[in-house]
Amino acid sequence: MVMLSVNGQARQVEVADDTPLLWVIREQLGMTGTKFGCGAGLCGACTIHLDGEAVRSCQTSVVDAAGKQVTTIEGLGAKEPHVLQTAWIAEQVPQCGYCQSGQIMQAAALLARNDNPTREEVVAHMDGNLCRCMTYARIQRAIMRAAGELRAQKGA
Amino acid sequence: MGKMDRWPERATLNRRAFLIGTGATGLLLGYSAMRTGPHEAKALGAGSFEPTVWYTIAPDGKVTVVCGKAEMGQHVSSAMAQIVADELEADWRKVAVVFPTNDPKFNDPLLGAQITGGSWSVRMNFDPMSRAGAAGRVTLVKAGAEIMGVPEAECFAQNSQVIHGKSGKRIGYGPIVGSGKADRTWTPDELKAIKLKPASQYKLIGQSVPQLDVPAKTDGTAAFGIDAAVPDMLYGKPVVPPVRYGATVKSVDDSAARKVPGFVKVVVLDDKTATITGWLVVVARSYPAAKAAAEALKVEWDKGPNAAVSDETIIREAKRLQLDPSAGQFFVKAGDPGAAVAGAAKVVEAEYFTSINIHAALEPMNALAEQKDGHWHIYTGNQFATRTGGIAAAALGVDPKTVVVHQHYLGGGFGRRLDADMVIPAVLAAKDVGKPVKVIYAREDDMQMDFTRPLTYQKVRAGLDGDGRLVGLEHDVVCAWPTARWGIPEFLTPSVDKKGALDSFVVNGADFWYTVPNHQVRAVLNEVAQRATPSGQLRSVAPGWTFWAVESLIDELAAAAGKDPVDFRLALLDGAGANAVGAKRLANALRTAVGRSGYGALALPKGQGIGVACVSSQERATATWTACAAQVDVEPDSGAFKVNRLTIAMDVGTAVNPDGVRAQIEGSVLWGLSLALYEHATLEGGALQVANFDSYTPLRMSQVPDIDISIIANGEPPSGCGEPGVTVVAPAIANAIFRAAGARVRSLPITPETVKAAIKA
Ligand code: FES
Ligand code: FES
Repeated sequence: MVMLSVNGQARQVEVADDTPLLWVIREQLGMTGTKFGCGAGLCGACTIHLDGEAVRSCQTSVVDAAGKQVTTIEGLGAKEPHVLQTAWIAEQVPQCGYCQSGQIMQAAALLARNDNPTREEVVAHMDGNLCRCMTYARIQRAIMRAAGELRAQKGA
Repeated sequence: MGKMDRWPERATLNRRAFLIGTGATGLLLGYSAMRTGPHEAKALGAGSFEPTVWYTIAPDGKVTVVCGKAEMGQHVSSAMAQIVADELEADWRKVAVVFPTNDPKFNDPLLGAQITGGSWSVRMNFDPMSRAGAAGRVTLVKAGAEIMGVPEAECFAQNSQVIHGKSGKRIGYGPIVGSGKADRTWTPDELKAIKLKPASQYKLIGQSVPQLDVPAKTDGTAAFGIDAAVPDMLYGKPVVPPVRYGATVKSVDDSAARKVPGFVKVVVLDDKTATITGWLVVVARSYPAAKAAAEALKVEWDKGPNAAVSDETIIREAKRLQLDPSAGQFFVKAGDPGAAVAGAAKVVEAEYFTSINIHAALEPMNALAEQKDGHWHIYTGNQFATRTGGIAAAALGVDPKTVVVHQHYLGGGFGRRLDADMVIPAVLAAKDVGKPVKVIYAREDDMQMDFTRPLTYQKVRAGLDGDGRLVGLEHDVVCAWPTARWGIPEFLTPSVDKKGALDSFVVNGADFWYTVPNHQVRAVLNEVAQRATPSGQLRSVAPGWTFWAVESLIDELAAAAGKDPVDFRLALLDGAGANAVGAKRLANALRTAVGRSGYGALALPKGQGIGVACVSSQERATATWTACAAQVDVEPDSGAFKVNRLTIAMDVGTAVNPDGVRAQIEGSVLWGLSLALYEHATLEGGALQVANFDSYTPLRMSQVPDIDISIIANGEPPSGCGEPGVTVVAPAIANAIFRAAGARVRSLPITPETVKAAIKA
């Protein structure tokens, strides 16, 4: 049995310690916004936050998440839409949409520590997140838009 | 703005909904019950369900459009809704979209099946959906006028209201529907007689309204096939053989697998449809358990007849077939190409290759199968629900009418989900264990068992006269035939030499719009490849390789004739005879891309060059006029090169949603770049040598060049925009490399090694 804190809620799951967190989130907790793409840390579709850091949940054992704050796409904008989610809609980023939870979670970790990233910083931070529909230009634009929005909010 | 329901297909529709649909019998309007799923359909009784329903209006005014096309990111659901809502004069904020099951009543009015591909959807459904919308509007205006007690002729519709101009009286669509007075049946002739709006009066068509599926794809609520769940569901992980096709299971030792907690059973699949061979499914209580048990399983296979097939044997066979004059069938035969080439002043011969490529949609193939109430329910995202339901029925040995395919969002289609393989392990495992089973391919299964873009070999011989004019062209295309594999005669095309049917989906594009007096195109089936690597439709299909050859060759011919490649193309696009209009639209797209690229006007540093290509992808009858100018930088010693900028122009006739069109062009152009440079699968020992995103490597963000897109919307009917971009990039890059470094590459993908070898040659 493992005790987890997911999106601010205490959850208790009956799984082996080495079960990838991805499948615990999807199957035991029934939260399907976090996606399975490769199971090998190569695509980023499964990206979540552990204590605010973006990690690949397919490469994280459930036991390693115990005692940490797990945030999934469902928790990111739970109270009000995250500035990235608003920007994603404004830029009409998603095509098939399958990679986008992971893209947004990955980008959110960047903006949390840097609200004024350069294009190169964005590319370096996002390059591990594959988008098979190739929505990359819009992802970049949406991140820049959200960063500007964050700066405006702080300035205000 | 409308909203997409999380479970589109399960959305509840009011029983007293206003129904409209087109079918063999014409359009049906009236009160009826819309089934919300197979169970509900039963409860409502068979008589209350009406066929081919394209939208309903509820008494609260909500317009629910039924989108018979798979939503895989091309935002076709919004486009269909825009088309219906424009003629219906519906308030866009009250419009939502649902997806039907595989019920034939929802078949495409033109294609007679539920199939999404070929960049056909908007082009083929524009007119029927417009007429469906208009018929609803006319009916509502009549009913509204009656309720308000005013003459129908003095009323018009706007924003989901019927308005009487003189008095200013108005009534909403909701109350009209609620009154029960909107009731009329339309015959096909009456439908045809409806006068549709001129383009100048479009309100939604041509507007970049926000896509209905986008919000749910930013908060994790969009439901893909892999997210489907039913009570008591078990999980299945395929165990696939060490060859792509033809293996059989000799023995299975599950002693270690049994020790994995949660393990349920190993099912050896006996697929009567022969879609898959030598597969097993490990069923367990969770997917990680199924995976662990699959890894612990010991299976011995007989690798079957294709175990020695490789890229090399496929190419050897292709070359042998090409030399055999009796092989294959003609797709184009005009004039006497053999004589024209033989008598030409200059002859150019070349061989062009494209590698095997795989789809690698980001959502791995999956399906959930459940037997319930005498029906088989399949939950998945699929592009060809009609055939997929049929394959599932055949695999199970049940009546196809008892198989219900529940459509979901597709986490990437690209042609991969036209196939039905994913439902077979799900239904057979579910049948065997007597419980619902969700089968999910591991990424490795998904890649190794892809229905690939086939390895293609093309041989061309072309002749120029003394003035450098193209007088004759022989073009042979040898490869596996993806569409022939389906065994659906309607998808094949009679050959021009009456030698039986051919798969036009391997030669489309080769019947280009250049005027060449003596021209032939031969399609040759490579049986060795067909057996060993069941091929599929990969985004853009044939034009992805035919234009690679044609547009490279045209450049080679221009060079041989000592002419500028743009001028050479424009001269061939003279619009003579059957090439009228289309050739000129293509010429305009070419001029647009060339002009915006700075071609000929910019003084480029040494080692840089701009190359061009123009295409009429997809089919000649469904052409979208597309051109690309690629600017590259080549390092002559190493062959290393960089694509700096792609300038694209596309004439789509009418852009129903301009931002949606732009998004499709952005994605397809990068697909073209990815296939041109970064994606390469090989066959070795009958097996695809790919495993995951480290061995098969689609383009990533750091590899995106500058892209400039011009959309030409000249008021002609809309044409597809999801695929042409894929076809035009590779030849433009190869032509640019030639201009930059004098090196001609003729194989895809293009790598620094192939460029270096071409520089030396
Ligand atoms: S599924 Fe975890 S990185 Fe791809
Ligand atoms: S939107 Fe389809 S994979 Fe990114």
